[in-house]
Amino acid sequence: MHEVALTDGELIERIGVGDRDAFDELYRRYARAVLGLALRRLGDRGRAEDATQDAFASIWRSAQRYDPARGTGAPWLYSVARNAIVDGLRQTPEPAAEAFETPSEEAGPPERAEASWIAWRVHRALETLPSHERPVIELAYWGGLSQSEIAEFLHIPLGTVKTRTRSALARLAEALEEEIR
Amino acid sequence: MGADLAPDERERLRRVHELLLAAGRPPELPPALQLVHAEEPVRLLPRRRRAALLALAAALALAVFGAGYIVGDRGEKAQPGRVVAMAGLGDAAGARASLAIFDADDAGNWPMELTIRDLQPLPAGQTYELWLVRDGKLVQQCGVFAVKGDKTVVPLNAPFKLKEYDGWIVVRRGETEPLLTT
Repeated sequence: MHEVALTDGELIERIGVGDRDAFDELYRRYARAVLGLALRRLGDRGRAEDATQDAFASIWRSAQRYDPARGTGAPWLYSVARNAIVDGLRQTPEPAAEAFETPSEEAGPPERAEASWIAWRVHRALETLPSHERPVIELAYWGGLSQSEIAEFLHIPLGTVKTRTRSALARLAEALEEEIR
Repeated sequence: MGADLAPDERERLRRVHELLLAAGRPPELPPALQLVHAEEPVRLLPRRRRAALLALAAALALAVFGAGYIVGDRGEKAQPGRVVAMAGLGDAAGARASLAIFDADDAGNWPMELTIRDLQPLPAGQTYELWLVRDGKLVQQCGVFAVKGDKTVVPLNAPFKLKEYDGWIVVRRGETEPLLTT
């Protein structure tokens, strides 16, 4: 079976027996999400990039301990990546971007953890979009472009932008079913 | 969103809209993290800041270079214990490489396999070199190689105590400017 057709959990199981193609596919699916997690935790691009590599090294080493009976692949990956990032933070205790001990009106640790998890899931879901749909979403939400501007930017009709946007949102809704309930 | 949507579907898409706003833009992957090519992305050594390495290496007067150590066929079943990602700099910004490091033999030789992608081939007679660096200086050479096409795989060897070094760089033979760094 081709790796692309496998679930995250199936990929992790394969990685656990040394399947490097499976690892490659899992990396493709989650690299940006892991980097995003590291950036939020560490606040420094260079350290986040290092932590991302450490996280995937940890995933490679830990995959044989993954038990599908205890949950799907995404939460396991999130947990391993988060732990690897935190371990890296302990080994190089530079000031973190998040001041955990400082009282503030901002969200507390539970809320931040929830936000990190949701961002993780959303970023992973974005990776599942077809290549012609993802730019439409990214330009609309983070590029600050209107649909007309996106049409001009991508050299496609406005109607196509609208169709792709709706299709992409529907795909995301399916991928994020647990989060939107 | 279109008025032709059923209310429940409209609500689902509205929730996705909110999640996208809450999640924020995912980061772009830097070249060094673009792809690991089915290899374990373990860094053997601490990564050096590339800018610092550039400045230090540029200041280094390179006087010595030698031949690399070519190892024999390790067989198809050999798996690297670690793989170090390398990213291109300057004129070689589009290049990337991965250095697979296999288990050392009893004599302390670390067989390695350098896979280079998109590095400019050099004129006949000119070559690249892989060096171990410490504190921004080229310290131990791990081999000389040429490239051809989009991808070249080169077997190399490092009979050194790798933990004593900070990482690797690739330079043109006889030069000190890093073209690829870990």
